[in-house]
Amino acid sequence: MRNFTYLSPKSLPEALRLMREHAGRIRPLAGGTDLMVELRKDDAKLDGMDYALDLCGIPELCGVSQEGDLLSIGSATTHDAVSRSPVLRERAAMLADASLSVGAQQIRNVATIGGNVANAAVAADTLSPLAALDAVVVLRNMEAERRMPLSEFVTGAGKTAIRPDELLIKIVFAPLDGYGTAFVKLGRRKALAISRMNAAAALKIEDGQIKGARVSPGCVFASPRRVSCAEELLLGAAPSRELFERCGKAVSDEMVRITGVRWSTEYKYPALSAIVCRALCIAADLPEEEA
Amino acid sequence: MSELRFTLNGKPVCVTVEDNARLLDVLRDTLGLTGTKEGCGVGECGACTVIVDGDAVNSCLMPAMRVSGKSVTTVEGLAHDGRLDRLQQAVLDHHALQCGFCTPGFLMSAKALLDKNPHPTREEIITAISGNLCRCTGYEQIVEAILDASEREA
Repeated sequence: MRNFTYLSPKSLPEALRLMREHAGRIRPLAGGTDLMVELRKDDAKLDGMDYALDLCGIPELCGVSQEGDLLSIGSATTHDAVSRSPVLRERAAMLADASLSVGAQQIRNVATIGGNVANAAVAADTLSPLAALDAVVVLRNMEAERRMPLSEFVTGAGKTAIRPDELLIKIVFAPLDGYGTAFVKLGRRKALAISRMNAAAALKIEDGQIKGARVSPGCVFASPRRVSCAEELLLGAAPSRELFERCGKAVSDEMVRITGVRWSTEYKYPALSAIVCRALCIAADLPEEEA
Repeated sequence: MSELRFTLNGKPVCVTVEDNARLLDVLRDTLGLTGTKEGCGVGECGACTVIVDGDAVNSCLMPAMRVSGKSVTTVEGLAHDGRLDRLQQAVLDHHALQCGFCTPGFLMSAKALLDKNPHPTREEIITAISGNLCRCTGYEQIVEAILDASEREA
C-alpha cells in the first residue's frame, strides 16, 4: 500500500485550502472504490501523491438539489443516493438507472458520481446519460468557480481539464421534463460488470411525432457526447422500431467514422446499434424486442 | 500514525492506525476480529463486507480513517448473549454454506438489507447479495435462508 497522509476536511473552504497548499501532491478521495485499488497496487500514475483528501465528510458536496431551472448533484453523492433520489427518478431516470447499474450494493453505497466523472474512465456508466443531459461540471479552487460542459471536461480516456488545485464540486443540468428516457448497458453480467458499451436515450413525443431527441453512446468515444446526426434522423419522425434501428446504425457509423475500423468493430457495430435501438424503444415505450 | 475512534459492534474502540490502513486490516490485524474475510481485495467478491452506519460496504476498499466517529458492525456483532442472529440460524437451517469463507460477507449484506427493508422480495434479496460471490454452495440456499430469516421474529 502506498503511504500517504489522510486529510478529512469538514468544509469546502478547508478542502480548497488544502488543495492549494498541497497542489500536485494531493489527490481527492471520493468513494475510494478506484483509488484504494490503485493505491494498493502503488500504481505509477500516483507517483508524487503524498496526501489523500477525503471528500465524503464535506456536507456541501453531498446530495441532490434544485438551482433555479437546473438540477444539481454534489460530487460526493453516492450512486446509491443518485439511484434512489425521487427527483432524479422523476426527472432524469436514465441517470438514476445508470447509477443503479454501477458495481453492486456495497460499491454503490460508497462510490460517487463525482468520482465516476473525474476518473473519466471510458467505461464510466454515468457519462453517457450525463452527456445526453448536456451536463455541466462545476469546478472550484480557492478564488474562483468555473463551469464547463462535460464533453469538454473529459478530454480523453482517464483525462480531464481539472487543475491541480481544483475540486469538482457538483454536476448540473436542465432536466428533460416531458421526455421518456432509458439507459441500456451491455456487460458480461448484471452485477459488478463494467460496461462493455452502453447507451442513453431521451425522446419527447407529442401527437405521434418526435419533438426532442438525445442519443449518447457510452464506452465508444474518448469524450462522452451526443450523436447529432442520429438525433436528426429522429426529429419530426413518428417513433417506430424501424426508425430506431436506422438510428442505431447511424450511431455505429459515427463510432466507425471517429475511431476507425478496429479488430473489435465486427462485434461492436451490431452490438452498439442494438443497444441504441433498445434504449430508444424503451424511451418511446415500444416493446424492446421484435414482435 | 493517527488515532482512530469508532463504535465497533456497539462498543467504543480507540486504536492507533497508519493513515493508509484499510478498514479490513484494522479489523483483522489490529482488533483481531478475523470473521471478516479478504477474498479479492478489489471490491469484487464481498467476503470483506461489513456495515458502516447502516450501509453494507467492502472493508477492503474503505480507508480505516473514514470510519472515525461511525458505527461499524462485523459478523462478530450479530450474535447476542450466546444466541445466533436469525440470519445465522437460517443459514444453518438451510445448509446455505459449505466452506464458509463467503458466509460472513453474505450475512452482513443480508443484515444491512433486513435492517432497512424487513420484508424484502426475492428480487430485492438477489440485488442485495449480488456483490457477494460464493464458489461452492451456489446461491439458492442463501436466498432461501434470507427469505426465511425475514419471516422469523428479529
